[in-house]
Amino acid sequence: MFVAPAILVYFGLTAYPAFRTIFDSFFTINGPGDTVFAGIQNYRDLWHDEIFWAAVRNTFIWSFIAPFLDVGTGLLLALALYAGVPFARFFRVAWFTPVLLSYVVVAILWMWIYNYDWGFVNIALRTLGLGSLAQSWLGNPNTALAALIVTHAWKWAGFNMVVCLAAIHSLPSEVLEASELDNCGWGAKLRYIIVPMLRPTLLNLYILAFIGKMKIFDLVWIMTQGGPLWSTETVSTYVYKRAFNWNTFDLGYPSAIAAVWFGVVCAAVLLLNRLLASRERLEF
Amino acid sequence: MAVVSLEKISKRYTGASGHLAVDNVDLNIADGEFMVLLGPSGCGKSTTLRMIAGLESITSGVLSIDGRVMNNVAAKDRDIAMVFQSYALYPHMSVEENLGFGLRRRKIDNAEIKRRVKATAELLGLADLLQRKPHALSGGQRQRVALGRAMVREPTVFLFDEPLSNLDAALRVNTRNELIKQHHRLRSTMIYVTHDQVEAMTMGTRICVMNGGRVAQIGAPLDVYWNPADTFVARFLGSPPMNLFNTQIASAAGGHLAENAFLRAPLMRWQSGTLQGMAGKAAIFGVRAEDLHLESDAVPGQKHGSIKGRAFAVEPLGAETLLLVETEPGVECTARLSRHLKVRPGDEVELVFPTEAAFLFDSGSGRAVGSDRS
Amino acid sequence: MITTSLPRLFSRGTLAAIIGLYTFYTLAPFVWLATMSVRTTGEISLDHYAWPKPFHWGQFRSAWIDSDFATYFWNSTIVVTSAVVVVTLIGAAAAHCLARFRFAGNRLIYGILFSSIIFPPQITLISLYQILVDYNLYDNLFGLTLVYISLQLPLTVYLLEGFFARIPQDLFDAAKIDGYGDIEIFWRIVLPVGMPAIATTLILNFIQLWNEFLFAVVLITDPSKRTLPIGIRGFMGDHFQDIGLIATGVMISVIPVIVVYMFFSEKLIRGMTAGAIK
Repeated sequence: MFVAPAILVYFGLTAYPAFRTIFDSFFTINGPGDTVFAGIQNYRDLWHDEIFWAAVRNTFIWSFIAPFLDVGTGLLLALALYAGVPFARFFRVAWFTPVLLSYVVVAILWMWIYNYDWGFVNIALRTLGLGSLAQSWLGNPNTALAALIVTHAWKWAGFNMVVCLAAIHSLPSEVLEASELDNCGWGAKLRYIIVPMLRPTLLNLYILAFIGKMKIFDLVWIMTQGGPLWSTETVSTYVYKRAFNWNTFDLGYPSAIAAVWFGVVCAAVLLLNRLLASRERLEF
Repeated sequence: MAVVSLEKISKRYTGASGHLAVDNVDLNIADGEFMVLLGPSGCGKSTTLRMIAGLESITSGVLSIDGRVMNNVAAKDRDIAMVFQSYALYPHMSVEENLGFGLRRRKIDNAEIKRRVKATAELLGLADLLQRKPHALSGGQRQRVALGRAMVREPTVFLFDEPLSNLDAALRVNTRNELIKQHHRLRSTMIYVTHDQVEAMTMGTRICVMNGGRVAQIGAPLDVYWNPADTFVARFLGSPPMNLFNTQIASAAGGHLAENAFLRAPLMRWQSGTLQGMAGKAAIFGVRAEDLHLESDAVPGQKHGSIKGRAFAVEPLGAETLLLVETEPGVECTARLSRHLKVRPGDEVELVFPTEAAFLFDSGSGRAVGSDRS
Repeated sequence: MITTSLPRLFSRGTLAAIIGLYTFYTLAPFVWLATMSVRTTGEISLDHYAWPKPFHWGQFRSAWIDSDFATYFWNSTIVVTSAVVVVTLIGAAAAHCLARFRFAGNRLIYGILFSSIIFPPQITLISLYQILVDYNLYDNLFGLTLVYISLQLPLTVYLLEGFFARIPQDLFDAAKIDGYGDIEIFWRIVLPVGMPAIATTLILNFIQLWNEFLFAVVLITDPSKRTLPIGIRGFMGDHFQDIGLIATGVMISVIPVIVVYMFFSEKLIRGMTAGAIK
């Protein structure tokens, strides 16, 4: 009985829409009341849609590779704090701040940072004498995606760091002491003890990051809108464009994209879970 | 195989009112000795052990092993192995890898590592468990792996930090015997921390009783038991704890005695010269529970002391019976008596004890007044 | 604590340098934003990195009043606050039910609710758009609120269920013996005792919805109904060159979050990372 309102909300606003989207994907919808059954035509079109594949490629690059950057940075930062710097608490709080900013804020800030004329990156390069490397980071199809990944990492590194730090602190100190007696210096301890014992957490973080990036929209939309030349187009932005920005107003096609993508995400998560099944809790 | 010596070792934790965990400990451990650091929680025994290991820094004093000063030597270079209370096995490594880890880190030849691991595993009955991970082992098995990990390194000194406290009673007895066996076999210097006096009494060649960061007494187990240096040691060793009473020293025909409202004890173990100086003053009198008998069981013709009171609890333990007697309101006395005891709560009893079973302690400091007459 | 000394690579100096650099990397953009928000666009164009002189606090006023920021701010406040309150209530009720009562399908419902966290928003986006249009809730703050509630529900239930399950059963048994009914138990026991977790969830939901962009941009088109993120974005479109104004506007949207963070940083961090640690 308690659960009734929740179930209602869920079904009304989450499950039903999800099913409906899948349902819609089989139609061509040109406006309320103008629905034409299209069978799997939408899916066929999707298969041949180059932009879609570009978007998929981009999203996959983002989702599989960027988490390494995110989690890796987080781990390094956590280790730096664990090494016992003064004011560690301050740094922890400070480094977590970007996580809380909205994507809009982050996007605007970094658009300014990447600005060709007066953005920080280019100014720094020029003052260092590397002016030849300065460029329009967001305007160059070759660098745009990487630039976005860096921005995204900037926002989320703090999160990964905090989780890693908590995990490191929860390692049993006696095991670490035993390793000291076993002739482990800092490096050996890291390599043989700390990181292996953190594996479940690190894998977890990777999967969380992966899921997050499969869904990404806000940042891309504001900073590059999928440009230039589709180099930063992600599946989300493409769905949005086809649904609300395209000249031909058709909701069936983007529904198909959404349905396919939903399947892909679920499959990927299940696959990752299975593959990384050694996430079982290390008992200690 | 090493001599470990602690000279005036102290540990003060940093901070404005830094807690003095270990206060001026002087301890010399001979080669091949099994030294037990015994004391209640918080007495500083674990901290002392960790300082020997190099896991805690030494605030002042000198620690040397085989004559070499070790204060600033890193833990890994001290050639010390330690068995932790929680075993501290590497959870992500198999038993074999756990055993071999320290050796691998010391760049010992692979063949040698294999040999040692195999030998140690067989010695401790772990040969079938080599591929398992710690979480698939029972408590006793994990304990043995922890022990094996220390043994396989063939260190100069073994350290044990309450290794048996996480085991159940039966396992504890078994493992205790196993450790004693290994000590005889290896003849290594072993330093063992515990709060359990049974472990101390059965395993140690010498024990060092600690209290509040200081050494209370060092000596062979039975020596410490029969000649406690102060009231703390007297009560810590022995179960049930020694009975202590506030008394007055009085002179009487034939010698001195300690007495109060319910107790009368001829003091035969001390020279009259010693007791003369204490006449008329207060002293703490001690007698162990196992030395008390019912008056009816006293050996006739022998001089004995007596305690009168009212029994308020009878605890039959099977092999013996504990009798709790209230001598004065608020003052208890415990006696270990025969299992055929017929006393009931409420009965008035008189407990007697032979005069050799008497202990005297100074009222103020609690230090023992050593007997000087055999 | 580590008692071994750090290897040379991690010497005090290098460590300090790395930490300093990273802190700069993290906070500098934000500080820069703050400085720009009190300078006029003219000043900024001349030198983008100078320290404000003088401090044009008036920028805030003009952003607030003249550029509709007030409207956006209030829209956001209304939508987010109501959504958060409702979702917390519904979520708590559901979490309580799932945590406490045994019934067939308990785990199933929990699993379904929880799994929707991985749903890419697109799967529901288009249909929600259609649904809202059908019910005349499109371009309507109430409609947006409803959607927001559904967005945060899985996370709320997940966080609260874990916490509620840990409340000792004895409390409930005692209450039942004392004659309390189910709803009273919910009000008088679950909510007060679960307050730490509820507070964390509240804060988390607040921040996530405050910053929410995708659904707002799809479901609201009327400029007067825009929420803050959309409003700022609109700014970028309309006043692209007016950097000073944009900076000020962005600051306005960031300040509530920072304020909340200042007071609740520990809770926030713990809440957001709960469940990620294994």
